[in-house]
Amino acid sequence: MKNNDINEKLSALYDGELDESEINSVLDTLSSDKSLQKKLSNYALMSSALNINEGNIQPIKSKNRLNPNFWLSNGITAAASVLLTIAFVNFDTINFSRLGPDNEAANRLSLAINSKEAKDIASLSQENLVDHVLKVINNPEFMSSNNSDIDLRNVGFNINGQTSSQYIKGNESFRLRLEKKNLGINKVRYWKHGNKMIYLVPLADGRVLTLYGNLNSESAIKIAQVIDQ
Amino acid sequence: MKKNNLDEDSLLIHRAQKGDTGAFNFLMTKYYPRVYASLFAFTKSKEDSEDLAQQTFIKVWKKIDSFRGDSAFFTWVYRIAINLAKNHVVSSNYKKDKINISSDAIEMDFASHANPETDLMHSQSLNNVRSFINSLPENLRTAFTLRESDGLSYEEISLITDTPIGTVRSRIFRARESVLEFMSQESTNEK
Repeated sequence: MKNNDINEKLSALYDGELDESEINSVLDTLSSDKSLQKKLSNYALMSSALNINEGNIQPIKSKNRLNPNFWLSNGITAAASVLLTIAFVNFDTINFSRLGPDNEAANRLSLAINSKEAKDIASLSQENLVDHVLKVINNPEFMSSNNSDIDLRNVGFNINGQTSSQYIKGNESFRLRLEKKNLGINKVRYWKHGNKMIYLVPLADGRVLTLYGNLNSESAIKIAQVIDQ
Repeated sequence: MKKNNLDEDSLLIHRAQKGDTGAFNFLMTKYYPRVYASLFAFTKSKEDSEDLAQQTFIKVWKKIDSFRGDSAFFTWVYRIAINLAKNHVVSSNYKKDKINISSDAIEMDFASHANPETDLMHSQSLNNVRSFINSLPENLRTAFTLRESDGLSYEEISLITDTPIGTVRSRIFRARESVLEFMSQESTNEK
């Protein structure tokens, strides 16, 4: 009964018909209740399906489809659930060497959405991750706040003398930050933001390395390996 | 508590403008499929549509302070999406991307996730759902379609159907639950 109550409130909020006093409780529940997130996502799919322009309907055959279950797939749920859907990719499943050093291609791939990762993103750790990425994007000071002047000269990066905490090599420049907490990630993730990249790399000792700037994936991996040593 | 298309999201928008990511996530979840579908209609490309939908919501988040409610929220989001799509199509990067990405990469991209929207566009599935909606009890069907297809507020539906607003809310919810259950069964049958 209680379940039905929150579900009905979700339906009303979806329609913009929930009393303001009840919105907080629904949003709070929604932030941690995956089944409710899924339901919201399915409401959205339902609306889209019912209002879709028939002229645009066309079957699409994609190769190697892993999950033919469309209605209850988590893809959109997670894809839409957090800002982290900016773009992310799992380094374990994507072999960048196949793309060569082409930054454009790497960036393009970063726009892929992996459904397994999407589920992870939708986990309880999402809020920490969202907060972190938003700070990286929105607060320039954040990336300079715990820089420890790590020597990266052996991978060709020098610290910018004028702008401390910024590393430079040719056209590449970035700032880094180390977190003592792991932010709930256990695989490398990266996002594209404008013309910059955000890399989050879990290190062996439990810390997380954040790299933000004009940096290609190969350089990011090398830097992470140096710091991880 | 009259609502209309222009202000049905106003409470959530107001919260998002104050930095409430929960409210923004709600809005993003609500409109992601429609944004994606609009972009797909424009680009005819699955991966470009995903790319642009994501960029759209980044931009929406960054610009949400500038939304003044002069139009429906989705209209505003839609304009951002289509402008991004237009710029994307004419940009040299777009062409360069198309050339540079190996077929392996694209295939991997496709294989790495399922996209409900592409499946959603299978007309047979749509027809099945629509048929099911038509088979709903009349009171549920009427409330649901007035809301979903005609975009009427609960109050307007209440007046049309001569039913208390609370009953309208309950009927719409029950209709949605029924449709979701049908979708789930359809999905199971497909496996």
